[in-house]
Amino acid sequence: MAAAGPAKTEVLSLFRAFLRTARQFSDYNIREYTRRRAADAFRENRALADAPAAAAAFADGKQQLEVAKRQVLVYSLYAPKAKSVVEMKIQ
Amino acid sequence: MAMAAAARRALLNHLRVPVARPAVAAASVPVARLLSSTTEAEKGSFLDKAEVADRVVSVIKNFQKIEPSKVTPNAHFQKDLGLDSLDTVEIVMAFEEEFSFEIPDTEAEKIDSIKSAVDFIASHPKAK
Repeated sequence: MAAAGPAKTEVLSLFRAFLRTARQFSDYNIREYTRRRAADAFRENRALADAPAAAAAFADGKQQLEVAKRQVLVYSLYAPKAKSVVEMKIQ
Repeated sequence: MAMAAAARRALLNHLRVPVARPAVAAASVPVARLLSSTTEAEKGSFLDKAEVADRVVSVIKNFQKIEPSKVTPNAHFQKDLGLDSLDTVEIVMAFEEEFSFEIPDTEAEKIDSIKSAVDFIASHPKAK
């Protein structure tokens, strides 16, 4: 397990799963933060050369994805009643 | 012969089902529009390729890392626009939002240029 790093397609599909999850947040700020945080983390770790470190980062990412999925549920219970002003289209 | 016809008529009369009219909808919306809207929703309709191309290009031009002047209908994401594989994932997600449908992972991996994106979206019945 520790020896082989994750395949490129696995990493990309984890990233895709993050973006899909991030989309579900009802609050604009949290939605954008999750998207941005995921993109930054994947870029930061893209150059990880040795397999154990990459595998550890991948495992951590999977755990964070579970956290994000739980938080989507929790935040959906406290969804803001009004949209953020940033989201509103200019009339 | 006559008996067969009579039997057929009797059977048809028996089978006839009274149609309950949807009172609220029929009052305001013409029947033709009702019909067309339900069939479109069920079957899905294919988008015009030129329109898809326009919308794809505008999604890409709105992407932060891209210089709008570099975007051409034949551009390859990684070779011409200088994007990496992570950017490509983000762009495909942006297409999903623009056309409000879901692109499965296996298809998303194949989209690597504006042309392949346009082809895929225009051939997908659920893209709106």
